[in-house]
Amino acid sequence: MKSTARGTSLKKTILVLIPAIFAQAAGNVFLSTKMREIGNSGWLPLVSRALESPTVWFGTALLIISFVLFASALSWADLSFVVPAISAEVALNVVFANYFLHEVVSLTRWAGVLFISIGVVLVLQSGRQKAQQKSEEIPRSGGR
Amino acid sequence: MKTAILIAIIVLADAAGDVLLTRGMKQVGEISTINPRALFGIGGRVITNKSFLSGIFFITITYVSFLIVLSWADLSLVFPAKSLVYVLSTFGAKFFLEETVTFQRWLGIVLVCLGVALTSLP
Repeated sequence: MKSTARGTSLKKTILVLIPAIFAQAAGNVFLSTKMREIGNSGWLPLVSRALESPTVWFGTALLIISFVLFASALSWADLSFVVPAISAEVALNVVFANYFLHEVVSLTRWAGVLFISIGVVLVLQSGRQKAQQKSEEIPRSGGR
Repeated sequence: MKTAILIAIIVLADAAGDVLLTRGMKQVGEISTINPRALFGIGGRVITNKSFLSGIFFITITYVSFLIVLSWADLSLVFPAKSLVYVLSTFGAKFFLEETVTFQRWLGIVLVCLGVALTSLP
């Protein structure tokens, strides 16, 4: 296992994950809008009509960008950090679904959004603590 | 029922995909450059990594099932349900990738899980 400067890694992780979260939430809105328009028209027509739609391609492009950022973060950060941190996108998706897709969001779902937000803050803090512990255990050594 | 089965497939395949992708990316090593030529080289190593490719296979299953289920179900129902994967992936991270998951991190993940369950309710 490589020991890199974990403090800067945490910042780097967050910088990479924030655009990943927004790209994913936006991508889902585009896909959902179009797929619901196409609706239940049988498997083959569903796929061919999805592939013809620029909205589906654009939504997919956003999801690919999000995925590349996500995979990059995994090259240095813990999966058990990246995965819950990125769950902020669930909260964002509910907000987007309410705002852009005009889906009705109940009080229960808003409470869920609040729980997720608190959970994400705790995970972010655990990342910071881990980073501090690491830098105490391994005093900054020169070179890599 | 149709929705539940597809969501189960999505969650299982996504967690397996996450673990395999992480293993692959860790094998490739930390990305610490934004030099396009260097990134190109890293990209080449990534897409020839076996763990990464198996991860992509599972993520593809997830993606196709997700697109299909979205054609009849609400995004604000499907997405939160899909997010159960966060818990399953954390178990994967602990047992297959041997990550240390601190108490606070588990607490955060449990809260995320509760929040996810709440957002899944109508």
